[in-house]
Amino acid sequence: MGESLADVTLRLLEGFGVNCVIFAVTLLCSLPLGLGVAFCSMSRFRPVRYISKTFVWIIRGTPLILQIIVIYYVGGLVFGLPPIERLDAVLIAFTINYAAYFSEIYRGGIESISKGQYEAGQVLGMTRPQIFFRVILLQVVKRIVPPMSNEIITLVKDTALARIIANKEILMVAQEYISTKVLIWPLFYSGLFFLVFCGGLTLLFGAAERRLSYFRA
Amino acid sequence: MPILEVKNIHKSFGGVEVLKGVGFSLERGRSLALIGSSGSGKTTLLRCLNFLEKPDAGAISVNGELLFDAADAGTHTESGVRKKRLHFGLVFQNFNLFPQYTALGNVTLARELLARDEDGFKTDKAQAIGRIRDEAEEILARVGLADKMGSYPHELSGGQQQRVAIARALALKPDILCFDEPTSALDPELSGEVLAAIRGLAERDTTMVIATHEMGFAREVSSHIIFLADGVVLEEGAPDRVLTNPQTERLRSFLGAVL
Ligand SMILES: Nc1ncnc2c1ncn2[C@@H]1O[C@H](COP(=O)(O)OP(=O)(O)OP(=O)(O)O)[C@@H](O)[C@H]1O
Ligand SMILES: [Mg+2]
Repeated sequence: MGESLADVTLRLLEGFGVNCVIFAVTLLCSLPLGLGVAFCSMSRFRPVRYISKTFVWIIRGTPLILQIIVIYYVGGLVFGLPPIERLDAVLIAFTINYAAYFSEIYRGGIESISKGQYEAGQVLGMTRPQIFFRVILLQVVKRIVPPMSNEIITLVKDTALARIIANKEILMVAQEYISTKVLIWPLFYSGLFFLVFCGGLTLLFGAAERRLSYFRA
Repeated sequence: MPILEVKNIHKSFGGVEVLKGVGFSLERGRSLALIGSSGSGKTTLLRCLNFLEKPDAGAISVNGELLFDAADAGTHTESGVRKKRLHFGLVFQNFNLFPQYTALGNVTLARELLARDEDGFKTDKAQAIGRIRDEAEEILARVGLADKMGSYPHELSGGQQQRVAIARALALKPDILCFDEPTSALDPELSGEVLAAIRGLAERDTTMVIATHEMGFAREVSSHIIFLADGVVLEEGAPDRVLTNPQTERLRSFLGAVL
């Protein structure tokens, strides 16, 4: 071995820190943003609905890599703005991209709740917000946990795309061992980080599903 | 003075006029049965009473108070409508219980939310909630569900779910309780328990409007029957008269088909 296991672990961990930051910031921003987009997609105002649906179509219809590259270069090359941080470009692209995906999950969840649930609340004199927060929301949450967990696990692995504009995330670090030290094992080792992380998430989502299993919706 | 007065209700859906001037009145403590073939507008009429549909024309008064007048936009405001709805209760054909609440939770939820707006709720919250809970338990016991208070809807049979729905509507003490074919989503052996619960309400002089396909039940529980056809009240009267001595060919053939 040209490198000690401890050394490689430390360097990979450093890289994985970047992946974790992208993961956390993307989730934190795109979960609420996606809900906003979902409400726009369901708006009674046709223009709002169309704009929102077009946005979702474009974001879901083009590669995330392309979006990262565009956001990184477009400010400088097209508008003559000062260059933006590599990590910031990734965070923006990921947030927008995942907000679009999440919005469709939210929309599906909200639209799947029967009209009768709203009407039952109305007939009982509840206000719109009361109906949403006391009756609809938890049913939506229960329904979207499985598709959300799927999407969030995809996000973990997508964070590796950050390297396309030279963010030093874990895969980039691992790949450097190939070119500089002719070592392949750090690459496999980096896969282990993802496996463990996704394993943890799977357990977490399983627990969430069990927590919500006391009712059927 | 009648507790409920409905005048000249018109309602169209996309150019098709379903109700073409329906009117009736109802005395306190009486029950009205609404009969008519599928598509005759029974559900639509009940939904109009509960402000789930907005009539194109007509007026609805309760206790002499004009709640809705199609010609008076002042009676259509959202916050006003929410309050006026409380004069009515509606039991749906397919229950529409809230799945994440227990039977008891279903009954207390709306009552608790309303209590928040009442004076003195903040000062004596625990007591107010306790009172609501006691009342809810009493109502659930009255519909025969004393031992199911803690069950979630999916743990209950259809008949039990419908009885929870009745209790939920009763908890708000509506002036008029409406039923939209309360047993037609149930197996015959389960509909008996729901009908018994409604019969119990009739004995306690609950004012009710009941859309139903069960003529035997309509006759037994109602004091007045309305036959809807072609968007109007084609025939009405005392149950015995309407059911045994129909005046129109339409009602005769309808009764022939359902009896
Ligand atoms: N929201 C709506 N949009 C369009 N048409 C509707 C709507 N609601 C009801 N209708 C139509 O109005 C007519 C009356 O329907 P309604 O449900 O009131 O009849 P009903 O007497 O309750 O029938 P059933 O015995 O089958 O329950 C039907 O032709 C129905 O298709
Ligand atoms: Mg109907």
